[in-house]
Amino acid sequence: MKRKAARKLALDALVALIVLVAVSPFVVMLGTALKTPAESVAYPPKIMPARPTLMHFADVLDPAKFPFARYFANSFIVAFSTALIAVVVGSVGAYAFAKLPVPGKRFLESGTFVVYMFSGILLVVPLFRIIAALGLYGSRVAVVIACLVSTLPAALSMLGNYFRTIPDSLEEAAFMDGLSRLQSLWRIILPLSLPAIMSVFVYVFMIAWNDFLFASIFLSDPAKMTLPIGLRQFFSSQDYVWGRMMAASLLTGLPVVIMFAAVEKYITGGLTSGGVKN
Amino acid sequence: MRSPPPRIPPSLEAQNRRLGLLFVLPAVALVFAVIIYPVFFNLYLSLWKPALNPAKPDLFVGFGNYARLLADPQFYRSLALTAVYVALTVAGSTLLGGSAALLMNRDFRGRKFARSALLLSYVMPVISSVFVWIYLFNPLYGMVDYALVDLLGLFEVAPQWFDDPVLSLLLVCLFDIWRIFPFALIMILSSLQSIDGAVYEAALIDGARPFRIFRCITLPEILPVVASVVTLRSIWNFYKFEDVYLLTKQVPILGVYLYRTAFTVNDLGLASAISVVMFALVMGIVFVAAARRKGASS
Repeated sequence: MKRKAARKLALDALVALIVLVAVSPFVVMLGTALKTPAESVAYPPKIMPARPTLMHFADVLDPAKFPFARYFANSFIVAFSTALIAVVVGSVGAYAFAKLPVPGKRFLESGTFVVYMFSGILLVVPLFRIIAALGLYGSRVAVVIACLVSTLPAALSMLGNYFRTIPDSLEEAAFMDGLSRLQSLWRIILPLSLPAIMSVFVYVFMIAWNDFLFASIFLSDPAKMTLPIGLRQFFSSQDYVWGRMMAASLLTGLPVVIMFAAVEKYITGGLTSGGVKN
Repeated sequence: MRSPPPRIPPSLEAQNRRLGLLFVLPAVALVFAVIIYPVFFNLYLSLWKPALNPAKPDLFVGFGNYARLLADPQFYRSLALTAVYVALTVAGSTLLGGSAALLMNRDFRGRKFARSALLLSYVMPVISSVFVWIYLFNPLYGMVDYALVDLLGLFEVAPQWFDDPVLSLLLVCLFDIWRIFPFALIMILSSLQSIDGAVYEAALIDGARPFRIFRCITLPEILPVVASVVTLRSIWNFYKFEDVYLLTKQVPILGVYLYRTAFTVNDLGLASAISVVMFALVMGIVFVAAARRKGASS
């Protein structure tokens, strides 16, 4: 049994090592956010400061010094709108494709396969021209539209997969009780699918929140910039202020990390639901 | 008094059909507007020399953009870089994620915490991760360079991670492996967990050694998931842009080449030709692979 215990210890140590290496950049991020400017460029470097300071967090949150709040609000507007549109349009559409006799069902199912071979970067040129022709260049609406390119098909296919796991008999029972299609959708399917819908919302929100590509193409006015493009612009235009950069990076990640943690078990389950559920 | 003509209630089937159409309409309209129309518009643009000034007309050039693309040495350089990048990142992230999944597929204290902690690099916005990597690999006071030069003595002088072409290729690969290995981890871990424990017990009773159990039971069970992880990841990394563009200027993979051609050089015609060729390459490789698998199985 001694050998077994030693083996377990070795494997546990390996897990600890992988976790340590994977997380270490974020430890450094936090440590640097708490360093004074002098300490952040000291040699040899230290991971954690001797005397932590919150000055960088105060600077980042001070609108007079740093437009973080404005970028944050813009990111939120873009990510929330994209997620809302993808979830509402996606739920309704996916329900119809899963449960109603709709022409072109087959076509759609083979279409989702092609979608996996696709990416937003392929459409930057036509989207750029279309957005310009519509007079939307420079607006946050443009970024929302572009973010839907990759997220809407994913929302449709993820929600469709989920709706198909809900047995038809459940709704048939509801119809027997005199509920209409709409009532059953509203009172039975949607409440039952809330975890899936929330997960898709978070998934789309994260993609839009992280988007740099389209924001960099469409937004040039600092008043409308989202976090990724705004932070990059801000930090490349002057000398690196590491503490401030790291504080801003942490705060940029915070909302998506919290949202992800809230739906983690659904998302990590849903990614692989095809194999796990019958 | 004449009664009004009896209205035949529309059959349930017809009602469902109408509702279905109503429900899919927004989704279909949006997909058409943001994907299908742009795809064809892109094909169209690739045959033109779009004018920068919207007041001026575009110029038809036929396959001129494609000819220019095929004559551009930068295109082949980007293609080769992308192939190396995809091969290294997909192999690295799948191996790391798969090993982590095997290690995590046991009972130990803090398992839940370890799992959540390992997902962090996947969830964090790329801009945040890029900033801290730029700090870590800084040649003057970065911790990685400090460790490599002063602590381990592997380098004489601090390596120029962001300026040297070979080192920056290595850097973007390391960055991406670190960022995306949790995807392989989650997928492979959940397929490991769906294996019936009784099979392992039976094998142990029969006296099978751990390696044999892995080769004969575990591996065949997870192989389909590994295959789909590799396929999806290869496609996604073929289109990669932000993770590389934000980190260094020295690794112009195809995504970066496309972006620069469109928005730095302002050559929109050539850029749309690049994206058509990129998509055609992916489609071609996927279909050849699918056909070969079909041929192999029949």
